Amino acid sequence: MEEQFPLQAELIERIDWLISLRWLAVVGTLLTIVVVNSYFPGLLLQSPLMTTIAAIALYNFLFFLYARQLRPHVSTVLRLRQSTVFAYVQIALDLIALTTLLHFAGGVENPFALFFIFHVIIASILLSPTASFLAALLASSLFAAMAFLEYGGLIPHYNLVGLVDPDLYRHGSYVLASVLGMAITLFLVVYMTSSIGARLRARTNELMEVSRSHEAKSQELEELNAKLQKLDAARTKFMVTVTHELRAPVATIYSCLDLVLGGFASREKEQQVLERAQRRATELLELVKDLLELTEARQAEVEVEEAEPIQLADVLHNVDELMRVEAENKDLFLSVDIDTAPPPVRAKPEHMKAVWTNLISNAIKYTEPGGIIVASLTHDSDHVIGVVRDTGIGIAAEDLPRVFEEFYRTANARAISPQGTGVGLAIVKRMIENYGGKIWLESELGQGSKFTFMLPRAR
Amino acid sequence: MTTKGKVLIIDDDPDFVEVVRTALETDDFEVFSAADGSQGLALMRQEKPDLVFLDVMMAHPTEGVDVSEAMMEDPDLRDIRVVMITAITDTQYVGDFPTDRYLHVDQFLTKPVPLSELLELTNRILKK
Repeated sequence: MEEQFPLQAELIERIDWLISLRWLAVVGTLLTIVVVNSYFPGLLLQSPLMTTIAAIALYNFLFFLYARQLRPHVSTVLRLRQSTVFAYVQIALDLIALTTLLHFAGGVENPFALFFIFHVIIASILLSPTASFLAALLASSLFAAMAFLEYGGLIPHYNLVGLVDPDLYRHGSYVLASVLGMAITLFLVVYMTSSIGARLRARTNELMEVSRSHEAKSQELEELNAKLQKLDAARTKFMVTVTHELRAPVATIYSCLDLVLGGFASREKEQQVLERAQRRATELLELVKDLLELTEARQAEVEVEEAEPIQLADVLHNVDELMRVEAENKDLFLSVDIDTAPPPVRAKPEHMKAVWTNLISNAIKYTEPGGIIVASLTHDSDHVIGVVRDTGIGIAAEDLPRVFEEFYRTANARAISPQGTGVGLAIVKRMIENYGGKIWLESELGQGSKFTFMLPRAR
Repeated sequence: MTTKGKVLIIDDDPDFVEVVRTALETDDFEVFSAADGSQGLALMRQEKPDLVFLDVMMAHPTEGVDVSEAMMEDPDLRDIRVVMITAITDTQYVGDFPTDRYLHVDQFLTKPVPLSELLELTNRILKK
C-alpha cells in the first residue's frame, strides 16, 4: 500500500518531523523574544506573544498525542486519509499562529513575516500541489487580512517602537506592496517546490517500478531455473537407467565371448554359449530400436500439427497381419473387431503402428497358450477408441500406476519374459498423449488386462 | 569327485549366471545359482557355500546390498566370502549407493568381468 502511494507514505513519516520542527519553532520564538527584550526592552508586548506561544505548545502537545495514537494502526487507506487531514489542520493552525504572532509584533512592519515562506515550503513538501497552493492562498489571505484590518483600524496595531516608522502600517501603498509581494513570493515558492517535488517523486516511482519489475523477473528466472534443474535431474536419471539397461546385455555378450575365446568352456558348451551371446545381441538391438522409438515419441509432440488424418483401422489391419503368426505359434486366438466406418484421427501412421504393435505384442507375451486376445476399434462423437484385451496373467493393483513408466517391469512380467525392455508401454503412452489422447488400463492379477486409448477424431 | 569349493552366484541375468557357472565348473568349483536375494539367502543356509558372487542391482537397485547386510546379521552366514558385482561405474549413481554402511564384501567387480580375473580371484579367496 505504502509503495503504491509514495506521497502519502512520506506524509505519514513527515508528520513526526513536523511536530518536532514545531517544538524547535516554539523554543526559537521564545529565545528571540528574550533576546529582543534584553536589547530593546519594551519593544514587544510580552503577554499576548507568550500566550500565543503557549497555545502553539499546547496544540503541538495534542498533535504529539494524536500522532502516537495513529501509529499503532496498520497503514491502511483510512490511516492515509487521517494523516492527510491531520497535516491540513496542522499547517492551517501554524499559519494562523504565525499571523497572530506577527500581529502582536508589529504586523506588516515585522520582517519575520518572511517566515510564511517556510510554512508554504513545508506544505509543498508534504501535500499535493493543489493543497500547497491552497496553503499559499490561506497564508496570503491571513497576511492581507491582518495588514488591511490594521490599516483600516478595525483591529489594533502594535508598533515596534523605535524600530520602524510608527505610521508605516497606514501607508496604503506600502501595505498593498507588502501584501502583493508576500502573495507572489508564496505562490512562486509553492510552484517551484511542487514542481521539483513532482519530478523527484516521478523519478522515485520510476525507480520503484524498475526494481519491482526486476524482482518479478528474477523470481521468474528462479522458477525457470528450478524447473530446468528438475528436468535435468529427470534426464540424468533416465540416462543412468538407459546406461544400465544397455550395459547389462553388452557385459553378458562380452562374458560369453570371453568364455569361448579364453577357452574356459568345453567344445560342446561353446556352441551353447555363442547362441546365448547371439540371443542377447538380438535383444540388445531390440532395446536400441525401442529407445529410438521412445526418443522419437519424446520429440513427436512438435510434429502433431503436421500429421495427416489417417484410418486407425488400416493400421490395425496391418499390425494384425504381422502379429497373427506369432499369436498362432503360441496357440493364441487373436481377434480384430472394427466397427463400421470409424472416423479418421490426426497422427503419423508409424506412431499408431507402434501403439498397436506394442499393445498386441504385450498381450501375446503375457497370455498363456490357449488364451484370447481381442483388439477392437470403436468411436463416439468426439473420439476414436481403441481397446486391446487379453486373458493373460494380469497386473497386480500395486503395479497398475507404474506400468507406463519407462523401464518399469512387474515381477510377473520379469518371471515370464526376463529380457523385455520395459519401454513399450511408455512409448505407447507418449504417442497417445502427443496426439491429444489418453490411455488407461484395467487389470487384475490372473484376470487378464484391458488397455483402452482414446484419440480425438480429425475434423 | 572333490571340488575346490562351493560358489553361489546371485544374479537375475540367467546368461551371466550360465557363463560364470561354466567357467567355474570347468575350473572344478561346485556352482549354485539364485535369481534373487531371498532365493540366494535360502540357498546359502542350505548349501553353505564358501564364496558368493552377488549382483548389486536386481529387481530393486540395492538388493545385493540388502543381501550382504542380511548375511552380516546371520552368524551362520557371516563367514561366507562375498564378491559384489555391479554394472555401475557411473559416479552419478554413487549417491544411491550406501557407502556409509559397513558392507560384508571382500571385493567389488564391475561387469563385464574378465573371466580370467574372476577365476583368479575365486582361487585366491578360496585358497586362504
